[in-house]
Amino acid sequence: MTIARRIALAAPAVMIAAGALPAMAQAPAAAPAGQAPGFYRFKVGGWTITTVHDGFFRRPLEGFVRNAPIAEVQGILAENFMATDTLAVPFTITFAQKDATLVVFDAGNGVTPAAATNGKMIGNMAAAGIDPARVTHVIQSHFHGDHINGLLNAANAAAFPNAEIIVPAAEWAWWTEASNESRSPEGQRPQFANVPRRFAPYQGKIRQVAAGVEVLPGITSIAAYGHTPGHTLYRIADGAEQMIFVADITNRPEFMMRRPEWQIVFDFDGDMAAASRRRVLDMLATDRIRVTGYHFPFPANGYVARHVSGGVQGFIFVPAEWSSAV
Amino acid sequence: MAQRRLLMGTALAAPLLARAAVAQVPAPAAPAMAPGFYRFKLGQFTVTTIYDGFRIMPVQGLVRNAPLEEVQAVLAESFLGPTDYRNIYAVTIVDTGRDLVVFDTGNGPQAPGATLGRLLATMPAAGLDPARVSAVVISHFHGDHINGLITAEGGAAFPNAEVVVPTREWAWWTEAGNETRSPAGQRPNFANTARRFAPYAGKIRQLTDGAEAVPGIRMHAAEGHSPGHTIWHIADGAAELVYLADITHRPELIARRPDYETLFDFDGAAGAATRRRVLDRMAADRVRVTGFHFPFPATGFILREAQGFRFVPADWG
Repeated sequence: MTIARRIALAAPAVMIAAGALPAMAQAPAAAPAGQAPGFYRFKVGGWTITTVHDGFFRRPLEGFVRNAPIAEVQGILAENFMATDTLAVPFTITFAQKDATLVVFDAGNGVTPAAATNGKMIGNMAAAGIDPARVTHVIQSHFHGDHINGLLNAANAAAFPNAEIIVPAAEWAWWTEASNESRSPEGQRPQFANVPRRFAPYQGKIRQVAAGVEVLPGITSIAAYGHTPGHTLYRIADGAEQMIFVADITNRPEFMMRRPEWQIVFDFDGDMAAASRRRVLDMLATDRIRVTGYHFPFPANGYVARHVSGGVQGFIFVPAEWSSAV
Repeated sequence: MAQRRLLMGTALAAPLLARAAVAQVPAPAAPAMAPGFYRFKLGQFTVTTIYDGFRIMPVQGLVRNAPLEEVQAVLAESFLGPTDYRNIYAVTIVDTGRDLVVFDTGNGPQAPGATLGRLLATMPAAGLDPARVSAVVISHFHGDHINGLITAEGGAAFPNAEVVVPTREWAWWTEAGNETRSPAGQRPNFANTARRFAPYAGKIRQLTDGAEAVPGIRMHAAEGHSPGHTIWHIADGAAELVYLADITHRPELIARRPDYETLFDFDGAAGAATRRRVLDRMAADRVRVTGFHFPFPATGFILREAQGFRFVPADWG
């Protein structure tokens, strides 16, 4: 008698019904818990990089890309299995820790109403074991609200009370000079009031840095102006290992890498932003450098590869693979 | 003026403040990694994927019908290395409200410190109790899919579950006469099958092509990778998901080159033909999928591209 026949004989339908069904009846399916906490870790040499999800903000797609017909934008989104009526813009903050240095790149959306889909960074930092009081440096890419609002806590005090704030000099210069307001795109004028408010608790602890300098040991600024007047990327290196925090060099890469010439509603100078984008993406694809991006799909780290679609030479984002081993 | 004040203040005050604080507070032991689960809704169903871990194996020898350099070039396009192949494992779990269903069981009990066999340890982090699993659905009987049926002590890992298996898969691996007709590398499956299913005697239900395991979950034959390899259609109303099991190994390699045959294949040519047929359907229907060897969280969509297909991960949310 074969095993198959033995088991087939031993497992009649009656026994299954008798054995399994009562257990199912007693134990209704467990009420599922929520999503896993939104943090992810990997190493770059001696740096431990943690990306922390700050949630997302859903906005109408209409009007987001300023220099392409919406049907074309929708076509690319559909190819990427994304919604075509609204755009969910995600936020992910990059942390880098090495020895006693704990750096956060941009500050997130900060405190938001309870029902908001953004502003999840504080809870996810706690889940990742990152105490804001231990952050030694906040390094800003630029001063749009989703990048600086998290400088304040719920009491409007410093969210990172022991941190030095490192800012691109070109960015600081623009948004702290009131006479630039009338020379800025209308949608960006609220930054002039928001910037002093968000940086206020850090008086005396703000350091302006030029482009192309080592702002901290192992961390170098890279100018990528256009999205804002002083939009800046940062290279994080240890020996031969390196990565680049590319900030807003693209919004969601699923469409902005495919079409680097597209300009979005948040761009200060769309032409300059597109030129910076193409130059940086080209460098990233050639050098095969790991990147994190502020609006990349979580866990927001991976690589940039050249890619042709619809006759346009562009790029795609290739997520790095998730691993349980840091 | 404001600018000058700030600049002057920086050099003096900031380093003192920052360093003093750091020196006082020892670094807390941060959790190394978030628990390996991911959750999304499918109609009223809740789907959870769980990372069972990974095993590093050589790229050399993985693909049986293509030169190594060609395989390495395809891997490099996805920024995967040329020598070490990371075999990854992700288990799909569906809560239908009526049933809690686990699709394949991962690698099961391992030595301490192993990088795989994490399903049972991770389920509680996802709020899932193995004792509440009502059905374990097995796509096929390779070890990484059935070893987790048992605990380290040899008992049933899912003590209250019925185990649903494809009839043709069961027939092959439970008939000793088939052993000599199987590829040498797959012959250990005969003993392993008997061992892993042993605690479930009387609770095993065989299923044929097109039949339902539980309401909303239907089997589809996708044979070749193993004699009775299956994929599973999961639907709640208009919301659909297909658990693709081993229709591809890592999609970065095998979806992009569907004609590649791997050393895990029972019948490589049949497996490749099935793969093309299934991936073509997934791409045409734009249906959401999960896969056992897909990069975690192992869910997304299949897109046609020049020489095959590409896996597009679903947005994390």
